[in-house]
Amino acid sequence: MTDAASQLPRPVGAVPPARKSLLEPDARTRRRNAAETRFRAYGIAAIAVAVAALAWLLFAILSDGASAFRQTYATIPVTLDAAVVDPKGNRDPAEMSKVLTLSYGKLLMDGMKSYVASKNIQIDGLDDADLKSFLSEQAQANLRQQVLDNPELVGQVVTVPALTSSRIDGYFKGRVTAESAAADIKTSPAQLALADAMKADGALVTRFNSDFITNPDASETRAEAAGLGVAILGSLYMMLIVLVLSLPIGVAASIYLEEFAPRNRLTDLIEVNIANLAAVPSIVYGILGLAAFINFMGLPRSAPIVGGLVLTLMTLPTIIIATRAALKAVPPSIRDAALGVGASKMQTVFHHVLPLAMPGILTGTIIGLAHALGETAPLLLIGMVAFVKEYPSAPPEGLFDPASALPVQIYNWTRRADPAFFERASGAIIVLLVFLLAMNLLAIFLRRKFERRW
Amino acid sequence: MPPFWIMISVLALAACAYVLGRARAIRSVDGNTRRLHSRPGYYAWNAALFTAVPALMLLLVWTLAQPLAVNQVVRGHLPADVMADAESRSLVLADVQRTARGLTAAVARGVLSAGEAAALGADDAPAMDRLAEADIEIAKTPEVLAAARDYRRINSAAGRVLTGLALILALGGMAFALMRTTPQFRARNVVEQVVRGLLILCSLIAIATTVGIVLSLVFESIHFFRLYPWQDFFFGTEWTPSFGGGSKLGMLPLLWGTLYISLIALLVAVPIGLFAAIYMSEYATPRVRTWVKPVIEVLAGIPTIVYGLFALVTVGPLIRDWIAIPTGLGSSNSSVMTAGIVMGIMLIPFVSSLSDDIINAVPQSLRDGSLGLGSTPSETIRNVVLPAALPGIVGAILLAASRAIGETMIVVLGAGAMAKISPNPFEAMTTITVKIVGQLTGDNDFASPETLVAFALGLTLFVITLGLNVFALYIVRKYREQYE
Amino acid sequence: MNDMRLAERTVDTDAKAIKFQCRDVQVWYGDKHAIKDVDVDILDKTVTAFIGPSGCGKSTFLRCLNRMNDTIPIARVEGRMLLDGEDIYDRRVDPVQLRASVGMVFQKPNPFPKSIYDNVAYGPRIHGLARNKAELDEVVEKALRGAALWDEVKDRLSETGTGLSGGQQQRLCIARAVATSPEVLLMDEPCSALDPIATAQVEELIDELRSQFSVVIVTHSMQQAARVSQKTAFFHLGNLVEYGATDDIFTRPQDPRTESYISGRIG
Repeated sequence: MTDAASQLPRPVGAVPPARKSLLEPDARTRRRNAAETRFRAYGIAAIAVAVAALAWLLFAILSDGASAFRQTYATIPVTLDAAVVDPKGNRDPAEMSKVLTLSYGKLLMDGMKSYVASKNIQIDGLDDADLKSFLSEQAQANLRQQVLDNPELVGQVVTVPALTSSRIDGYFKGRVTAESAAADIKTSPAQLALADAMKADGALVTRFNSDFITNPDASETRAEAAGLGVAILGSLYMMLIVLVLSLPIGVAASIYLEEFAPRNRLTDLIEVNIANLAAVPSIVYGILGLAAFINFMGLPRSAPIVGGLVLTLMTLPTIIIATRAALKAVPPSIRDAALGVGASKMQTVFHHVLPLAMPGILTGTIIGLAHALGETAPLLLIGMVAFVKEYPSAPPEGLFDPASALPVQIYNWTRRADPAFFERASGAIIVLLVFLLAMNLLAIFLRRKFERRW
Repeated sequence: MPPFWIMISVLALAACAYVLGRARAIRSVDGNTRRLHSRPGYYAWNAALFTAVPALMLLLVWTLAQPLAVNQVVRGHLPADVMADAESRSLVLADVQRTARGLTAAVARGVLSAGEAAALGADDAPAMDRLAEADIEIAKTPEVLAAARDYRRINSAAGRVLTGLALILALGGMAFALMRTTPQFRARNVVEQVVRGLLILCSLIAIATTVGIVLSLVFESIHFFRLYPWQDFFFGTEWTPSFGGGSKLGMLPLLWGTLYISLIALLVAVPIGLFAAIYMSEYATPRVRTWVKPVIEVLAGIPTIVYGLFALVTVGPLIRDWIAIPTGLGSSNSSVMTAGIVMGIMLIPFVSSLSDDIINAVPQSLRDGSLGLGSTPSETIRNVVLPAALPGIVGAILLAASRAIGETMIVVLGAGAMAKISPNPFEAMTTITVKIVGQLTGDNDFASPETLVAFALGLTLFVITLGLNVFALYIVRKYREQYE
Repeated sequence: MNDMRLAERTVDTDAKAIKFQCRDVQVWYGDKHAIKDVDVDILDKTVTAFIGPSGCGKSTFLRCLNRMNDTIPIARVEGRMLLDGEDIYDRRVDPVQLRASVGMVFQKPNPFPKSIYDNVAYGPRIHGLARNKAELDEVVEKALRGAALWDEVKDRLSETGTGLSGGQQQRLCIARAVATSPEVLLMDEPCSALDPIATAQVEELIDELRSQFSVVIVTHSMQQAARVSQKTAFFHLGNLVEYGATDDIFTRPQDPRTESYISGRIG
């Protein structure tokens, strides 16, 4: 450069700095930097704790629940004695259906006995009670259903996979041990020894259990047969109602508030209302559903229609808030452009603003639905916690049939005594989380795909 | 015809009206649509809206009003001595409804013919036996049975009237709209007016919901306070409901449990959430942010039932075996500590994302000013950013507190059901929400204070959380305005 | 350039010591080469103005002088910048300590949402410059007097700083920077958010500050540069085009680009 500065001597020594050299941090700076490092460490620790809590939670659920998708079955030959299952001998399913399930239990019992005898299995202390409780009570019902569906089987020797009891199943999943069996009236070490022998023989298999997804709930004593079929269907029905009601209503309300509403008392009131409704505890919505829909309007308890309505009211504020944000994000220039070519306000909104805001609205709706899907408390109050074994029929009538819901089914199972239900509750959570994950991925996909920068 | 099918028929009529309206508009100008005041679609919508909207409105109002009216009529058929006392009145009415539903179910399942059901008397032993065999509950007293018959008769008559009225209204609306379809008719303006009205109606649902919540809570709470003195409810320290009578329904133990658990939850969530938010907004590189932020937010997307099970199966036993039993403070699987810690984990993302927003709203110029004076980033955060963001953060914490107070599933599964006031966090205690669930699940008798107390508890919960929310939202809003 | 104050001020800048000695300074923002090969010496007890069209890198360079660019993750600085002979980008240098010696005032007045007193006392507190309350009071008063604000605010020191007028706020920010007794004061367009009267007050203040500090001011206004500075550097597209006595730059520019800029043909 042209300046004289370059000719000047280096200032070192010429002007001794009044302070200490910058190259040596003083004690105070060192202290302050240590405080800085500590503060930063707190931040990292906080994040680590949060992430670790998530990992712990997911690990606990996954490790408890993964085994719910596998189930132990015994494959033993069973003689379908015609004298027992078809006393009249005419192979008429209507006649045969009068034979009680208990009789099939005897057939299975005989099958077990002859199996033990034929394989020459010798176990100390193995008594009839052990053989009887080896198989699930559900196995009798399943066998009966199979015979009724196909009367040709009568008189034959069939080898069908029969559900084992939850204790035998638990033995192969590590939940039941020889020590715990000794103290358990529902099983015994001898029964477990039999299970080992049968396993060695190949007569016991633990395999993937699709019934867990499709079966309805089962009673207290049949944990091994309980499934999520009714709960999934009930949740699906409710989500359908929530989607059909909350999306149009939510969008309509948002459009009015964001695009048309004059700034006045009423608008303010509505806005304050929506903000507060979003923060009202979910159980209060349950009370509303009980008092308004069931007691006042006389809708049936346990029905998806009531659950759907309650969840709709609960989800609406979320959807309205998300939709308004999406509408706000559409730049005013678009509105000006449409109004400028002579479109009416209504046309501007419906032809231009709404389509542009649609990805944001859909994302918000999906997130709202995901929240509704996982909500439990309000559903407990409207009777969804009842034991429902029948599948609801197809909509619209099915919406009024009793049904369960996924999160309520989980709650229901945690209330039961048999520890096998805890495994199933965790398994049901995995199913629930898979649904939630799918919905969130869809939301992320929509957002990525239609993301727009103005 | 059931309301659902009325709705479908009306919508089908509206679809017809759409087609007819459009055709008529085009025909009125011999296909030269430029002579129409509005685009043909608006004439079509005009016809469809006039067909559907009045009929559907009628359907909605009728469905809401019918139970009230029918109850009124049925009351007239019951003996005066039963109706004198409010408690037995609601019992009898519930009985009538149950019987009527039972009769309908019996007809649907073929146990009784429609004629038999309409004329069923208490002395009709064979029919009663068949009902009992089919497991259908029917009241045996002649008065109730008669009232139930009336109930069904009136309901089905009302259903017929509704069907007729709705269809007449739909057809009338369609005819009116089609008659008005002329080239000069300002269809667009009319349609836009109607749509605007519908939009307003939708936004009023928010108010209707609040009103519904308040009414359902207040009415049943008034019932409760008629049966149980309010002083004993609000200031009683004992909670021992017994459906046989002589219950003590003091709210204080529940309130104590609620507040204690919420406090522990906040003690977990606020430091972790706040520090996480500070690190995210002030230190983390964009790469770290894009990965860690969604991971923490996953915690917010997990349903509370999952946290509940986590508390019950994992955290509860852990705290019991490693802390409570060794220190001799408790031996219960569920405890205030368990529920509080798990709820705290649930609230972390809530606190962190709210605080993150609020910290980010503090202008960068303040940070620059502080850093330019030679303060370290942490000094800047502690002395400048946090004091500036304080009101917003307080608001966020209040919102989190309201969440904690209203949370249900975690406490149902993690806190226990023992109502007591104790300072020991390793003991099982219970909360307002747990007792609402407890008193309202299963078979309810809406005439007993043990059931109705749930509404008073709900009202208390609603008032507390509403107060917190309104206050918090006010603070946050004020704070946002400051930096906008 | 017929500003009359120009003629009044004939300061012999060559006699002053060099405070900052910068050689081969390069700055990158990500891939963008924002500052190219800048060599400049900034003198003690002198006002140096950086001028140039917007986006020329003058603010970027200013922020390098107290390492404020460290707070921007994508910024990268190369070359040597010696403060009293010590490289401020040396690994051993703590930017926190550096910024105590090289203070900064920003474009928009940014008082903290605290009282006036706490605003000024902030720097001395974090750097531990006062042993007790009395000393702190003294430092605050001195700084406020130094920023010509004392008389206006002495009765309301506990009121919040954001309640002052724009010009007062900016002088408060200057007082805040002065309170840590820095050696160099960096000012990034300190008057761009102020009205003409407040601007005049601040400019007057800058002229007074010259007696104690080396002041570096970035300005988009050539008139302001001419009014307050003794040395001027002209930046263009990341290059330091010309650096010299303010009188020379404005009356006898050597580089055609400088001439175009000061005569209003570019920028």
